[in-house]
Amino acid sequence: MSLADPRLQGPAATETTMPTSTVTSPPSTTASNGNGARRRRYHAEGLEAGKRSTRTLLWILLAAAMIFYGFPFLYLLFTSFKTPIDTIAVPPTILPREWTLENYTNALGRSGVLASFINSAQTAIISTVLSLVLAVPAAYGITRYKTPSGRVFIMAALVTRMVPPVAIGIPLASMMSSVGLADTPIALSIAHTTISLPLSIWLMSSFFEAVPQDLEEAATVDGCSRLGALWRVVIPVVSGGIAVTAIFAFLASWNEFLFALLMTAVRSQTTPVVIANFQTQFGLDWGSMTALAAVYSIPVILLTLLLQRKIVAGMTLGAVKG
Amino acid sequence: MRISDRRFAVLLMAPAALFLAIFVAYPLFRLVADSFFKISPIAGGPRDFVGLDNYFRAFASEAFMGAGWRTLAYTLVVVTLEFALGLGMALLFTMLGRNSQIWRTVFLYPLMIAPIVAGLLWKFLMIDNFGLIGTLMHQAGLLANPNQIGWLSDPNIVLFSVAIPDIWLTTSFMCLVLFAGLQNIPGDLIEAARLDGARAPAMLFRIILPLLRPVIAVALVVRGIDAARAFDTILIQTNGGPQSASETMSLLIYRTMIRFGDPGLASAMGTMYLLAMLAVAFFAVSTIWRPGKDN
Repeated sequence: MSLADPRLQGPAATETTMPTSTVTSPPSTTASNGNGARRRRYHAEGLEAGKRSTRTLLWILLAAAMIFYGFPFLYLLFTSFKTPIDTIAVPPTILPREWTLENYTNALGRSGVLASFINSAQTAIISTVLSLVLAVPAAYGITRYKTPSGRVFIMAALVTRMVPPVAIGIPLASMMSSVGLADTPIALSIAHTTISLPLSIWLMSSFFEAVPQDLEEAATVDGCSRLGALWRVVIPVVSGGIAVTAIFAFLASWNEFLFALLMTAVRSQTTPVVIANFQTQFGLDWGSMTALAAVYSIPVILLTLLLQRKIVAGMTLGAVKG
Repeated sequence: MRISDRRFAVLLMAPAALFLAIFVAYPLFRLVADSFFKISPIAGGPRDFVGLDNYFRAFASEAFMGAGWRTLAYTLVVVTLEFALGLGMALLFTMLGRNSQIWRTVFLYPLMIAPIVAGLLWKFLMIDNFGLIGTLMHQAGLLANPNQIGWLSDPNIVLFSVAIPDIWLTTSFMCLVLFAGLQNIPGDLIEAARLDGARAPAMLFRIILPLLRPVIAVALVVRGIDAARAFDTILIQTNGGPQSASETMSLLIYRTMIRFGDPGLASAMGTMYLLAMLAVAFFAVSTIWRPGKDN
């Protein structure tokens, strides 16, 4: 128990009793204000709000924001459990009148839907591997040797991020078909890599930047070649960074739509295209559409919650640093 | 023989550089080349050099100029609202401190949702007749009838409605980046301002926002460029309609190519779109971002 423990402080104790939920922030010893009003204060640092009334208000605000923010997806989930007729009922209800899995069996039973999941996964995996294989050495070359060509290259990679996909999608699609790769997961994963590679190079450069140079120097003194030092010494150190980069590359491909629309027909169609097609091909089949959208989104939402630390690290590195 | 460090660095970068040259630079070159031709949409059809004719046609067409303005308006709406909401949430999380951590994680979830799914679910919320938003506003007494606002069918407001999923998807990103920036503001500075009697607005505009400027700049540039390229969410919600009122540049180029089968004109539009984006990107990167420089 620290000296700040309220029980050790006699009369002041009542003023500083902490609610049990705040075990993470140490109790403050702020004295009561002059007029004798009983106020509870948190040990507030910097911008953290101190007053209890302010905090309550902020929590209410946060709750409102979370409800507004979470509701659209919850509504999609609820709708996916409604009966097909109920999904377009006027006026709509939030909760299903009758819970059913009919939309799920309809959506997943439709021909091409399961195949599209396999295509999506296949495309995303190939694209992730390709991005990493290209980005890891490139980022290492840029950060470790700081040559003028490296600086030009990372600039060029960044500018690539600004290119609108619609501008390269069509020429890229005709290039792929002229080499016989039309409508294949390989062609689509190459297209997706044009999106994820610049981001991967950028992220990996930040991670390599954090590795002390002495590490490889020691390894080369011990008789390792430069490539050997990279592979055996540096790569294991940045494995966390590689995981972050892999998550981003995977998500970029998994959620991509425009290239998939331009470059796939039936054989290698990914799920986003199938979801969009429910709208035209089968009239307005909202029930199946919501079910399929839920099935497609839930794995990546769970992935986020599991790996949130890594994802936050990647996003803040990508934008805040530099 | 041992190769020099400089050459070793080039060798490490070569595969990625080659990839970007083949699959980004070359298609862009093809795009620019195609913009000078009149091309038949049928494979193997005729291809006639027409000089700058496609460019003149683009500038003469109301669709192109309209799409340009709409893209600009869309980008401004998305970025402004996202910034305001993201900053609000980041401040909220900061003021609540460590206890809010789990909610910060939950708040990230839209970032993982495919834009096509986001567009779909908002379309479902806003659609005429069985859209939930109109119904809820009607039940709350805000609207006389649930279909009073045609979110996706009224040409005057549709550009705003189609922006909502985009804002919903990426406010989390804005919040995350600004939150990280807020954590780097020294606590002493805030304490000192507080002791000097600074009130909340002064604290925000005189201290917090100026200190966050570099972070804000990066976040706005990144999101601005993404918003200007928006395609999925708009396509699934309105397909550019009604009466082209939500047709932004990406959609116009796509439709010119696929629907109207005019690859030459689409390439000319694409080239101008690309040049505009690159101009903004170069400006942003050289003045604000400065990658590769150590702080």
